[in-house]
Amino acid sequence: MTNPDILIVGAGHNGLVAAAYLAKAGKKVLVLEQRATAGGQLAGATLASGATVPGLHPAGQLRPAIVKELDLARHGLTTSAADAPYVSALPDGGLLRLVSSANDTATIEAIRRLSPRDAGRWPEFVGFMNRAAAFLDAAYSTNMPRLPRIELRADGLPLASLALQLRRMGGKDMFRVMRSLSMSAVELTEEWFESETLNAAIAGVAIHGVTLGSMSAGTGFTLIHNWLNRGGLAHRTSTGGPQGLTEALVKAVLANGGEIRTGAGVAQILVEHQRVLGVRLESGEEIKASTVVSEADPRRTLLGLVGAPELPPEFVWQTQSIRMRGSVAKLIVRTDGRHGLPDGTVAIAPTLRYLERAYDSTKYGEMSQDPYLEVTTLGADVMVHFQFATYALRNADWGSMRPELEKRALDTLALHFPAFKGSIQSVQSITPVDLEQIVGPDRRRPQSRPADPRPDFLHAAVAGLVESPHPDRRPVSLRFGPAWRWRHQWHPGSQRGAPVAEGLAFCGLGGATRCEAKRHAAAARWPPPRPTTDSSRAPPASG
Amino acid sequence: MPELSTAHHPLYQLRRTPFHARTSQLCLPHNWRRWGGCLAVGSYDLGLDREYWAIRNHAALIDISPLIKYEISGRDAARLLHRLTPRDIHRMQVGQVYYTGWCDDDGKLLDDGTVTRIGEQSFRLTAAEPQYRWLAMNAVGMQVQVTELTEQMAALSLQGPKSRTILNLACEQPVDALKYFRMAFNRIAGKAVSVSRTGYTGDLGYEIWMDAADALVIWDALMTAGHDYGITPTGILAMDMARVEAGLFMLDVDYTSASHAWIPGQRSSPYEMGLGWTVNLDKQGYFVGRRALEREHREGSSWQLAGLEIDWEGLERQYAAVGMPPQVPGSAVRGSIPVYAGPRQVGYASTSTWSPVLKKYIALVHLQQPYFTPGTKVEIEVTVEHHRRKSPATVVTLPFYDPEWKKK
Repeated sequence: MTNPDILIVGAGHNGLVAAAYLAKAGKKVLVLEQRATAGGQLAGATLASGATVPGLHPAGQLRPAIVKELDLARHGLTTSAADAPYVSALPDGGLLRLVSSANDTATIEAIRRLSPRDAGRWPEFVGFMNRAAAFLDAAYSTNMPRLPRIELRADGLPLASLALQLRRMGGKDMFRVMRSLSMSAVELTEEWFESETLNAAIAGVAIHGVTLGSMSAGTGFTLIHNWLNRGGLAHRTSTGGPQGLTEALVKAVLANGGEIRTGAGVAQILVEHQRVLGVRLESGEEIKASTVVSEADPRRTLLGLVGAPELPPEFVWQTQSIRMRGSVAKLIVRTDGRHGLPDGTVAIAPTLRYLERAYDSTKYGEMSQDPYLEVTTLGADVMVHFQFATYALRNADWGSMRPELEKRALDTLALHFPAFKGSIQSVQSITPVDLEQIVGPDRRRPQSRPADPRPDFLHAAVAGLVESPHPDRRPVSLRFGPAWRWRHQWHPGSQRGAPVAEGLAFCGLGGATRCEAKRHAAAARWPPPRPTTDSSRAPPASG
Repeated sequence: MPELSTAHHPLYQLRRTPFHARTSQLCLPHNWRRWGGCLAVGSYDLGLDREYWAIRNHAALIDISPLIKYEISGRDAARLLHRLTPRDIHRMQVGQVYYTGWCDDDGKLLDDGTVTRIGEQSFRLTAAEPQYRWLAMNAVGMQVQVTELTEQMAALSLQGPKSRTILNLACEQPVDALKYFRMAFNRIAGKAVSVSRTGYTGDLGYEIWMDAADALVIWDALMTAGHDYGITPTGILAMDMARVEAGLFMLDVDYTSASHAWIPGQRSSPYEMGLGWTVNLDKQGYFVGRRALEREHREGSSWQLAGLEIDWEGLERQYAAVGMPPQVPGSAVRGSIPVYAGPRQVGYASTSTWSPVLKKYIALVHLQQPYFTPGTKVEIEVTVEHHRRKSPATVVTLPFYDPEWKKK
């Protein structure tokens, strides 16, 4: 492609969604991907050891509005509409099977065996969670103001409309949602239910992908966030799995006239006079463009690709302060098919205390003795999500801890599913260090950084970069930091304040792919701006 | 029983400079001042006349060791200072000295000082206040080492028309070839020093930088060499009068660092402080405050530092009204004094002084646009026998005093 308007750094799902929207808006979009294939984590990876792993996500789903607007169905994407089951493996060998629907009789019956009172409250809980998730969804689509100066028109109106939406929930719900966001998963679930088995099953989703325990404040928020992403407790699947999602997105980019270049790692985003000029590839080739959209996380983009010397000192300091402490490992187990695992999303989250204990180990730089696991199956392949595998191990390193990681994961699973061990054909484990490689460390100047770049599943997950398959997320936890500014770098020539680098935008951890891409398209005046029809992605409330 | 008191804790005690053994013997009135956590001599006499006239007529020896000093070295040393300050550091030659302020990203001054290029990859930065954190924040992603030298390095300022003659006697190498705002290595009493032709008096003058361990030997050597030329140990109060005449301002007196400002209005930009000449908007790359300074340059500044000469006849009239001859302060006054245009206050004086060499009552004033235009007639408040009155004054260009030998 000659003279592209926009360069997208990274062809993960976020980069592809942004590219498709911008290409659809008539922009000349060139996606630059370091690896040989598009898809980022959805596409699998080749590790330093030479081993290859399939897509790291058990399931991938995009919000319905994206599927519709990018016409992904035409490009081969269908998402299962059925309510997927979420299965908690209990200490006594039993299974608690939950479908996140207010009127699933089997679910209510299963809960009744634990507590009749809880069974009565389940429909109300599901309804509340759906409404809370819908509110969060609306909040994510709202333009957050640039503190401390709030412009009435640009910032005040979206905020007011969000407040109105909250108010419309009614006094009781409004109060409950606001409270729930700051609560811990233990506090939240115990307010609803008395059965610890049920509470722990729900709390597993609350700590999924974040370095927090069931008793940590704020896991109420992560529960609602994950509920929004998944459409309930369980993951939903789409045709062809993660690979199918990538293929559909790639087709959408190409069909709209975008171009994807693989094997084109970006070494530097070129900036002069705080204005983006283009990028320099690892090969030394320079590509000019007035706008660069980075899928990499803000810290890596700003300190690694742009470089701290080109950025204001306070901003660099804030960027350095982004917390990055990964604690997730993955296992991909190939079996002969007789693994004995049920369909759906299986969680090893027996008690609230178990989850908190598993998290405690991160405080001491250890790997959980009894980990919280979430397991999904794709035919004979079993994908295990392991928490907590602390990135920064004390007195150990991930080179030597790999066998122990595999042992703890497989032993824990075998405890609940006796047939599992006998069915294993091969095990591929992905330690936090491996994950970091896949996410993409800053390879250019590793020594210039005081601390190592750790993929933070707290932020990354919330943002949809690493863990969540949801590409239209931006980090709430980051919004109070420099994200205020990042969010306004999108408009080229924006006069609102002084952006750190004009023409630089984020579509992964630092930005909101669809929302911002659409705003950009609107700014380009073609096609003419039209109102967003933002149907909530959560199932309709029924409680 | 000994009492535990914070007052006796080393942290709460003023440090002594490496010259204390000499200066304390000479500081007979015990007129001490605090400067950067150190005991600094205010004046060696009860009055300032002898020391002031040493600066203007022969040679004053001033202990300036409390200045904050950093050595900045490494591959990216120039890059760091180029980013930190609005000056084009990449164009600086080894041995050159730049005076500069530096700003936050809103283009407001944080501090000011000198940058000396000691070598290709080595610089010395002086500052009024500690800057280590700001330097570290700006050095992210660079290969550079910042070392604070404040206590390891002693410094003397030798100022006055005879300073060159005295230095030529004291130094191994003559300093005749040393141009204004240049630095050269030299030796005094066999000890290594660096001598820069800089100062804070607006006169011919030099600053001598040395290892703290050599301080007393060098002091003695300079005092011996300068004996026949009237070398005079001088305190910071006489220097304060001289620096106003030279149009030089001081942090916390004439402007507030953006890092200490309570409200945005307390901050000042380099343009507002008359340092527009140090802001190089054509230089390559980002520097802190660039955007804001570009905007201010485009749109113009609403304030400006200027000089003010108080009209003598006007002042006489104010005092004559109560039957007194005009009164002028015996030293520089660090206090805000309102300046008016008609009934409206249009600015304030931050330091005012009687200038013995000019025989004028002068002030450094901050004036609003358009009153900073030289030649503008304004009025300044004077307190005559406890009554506030207005006395006519004229806005003038800085500096007030600029002898031809300063740069020659």
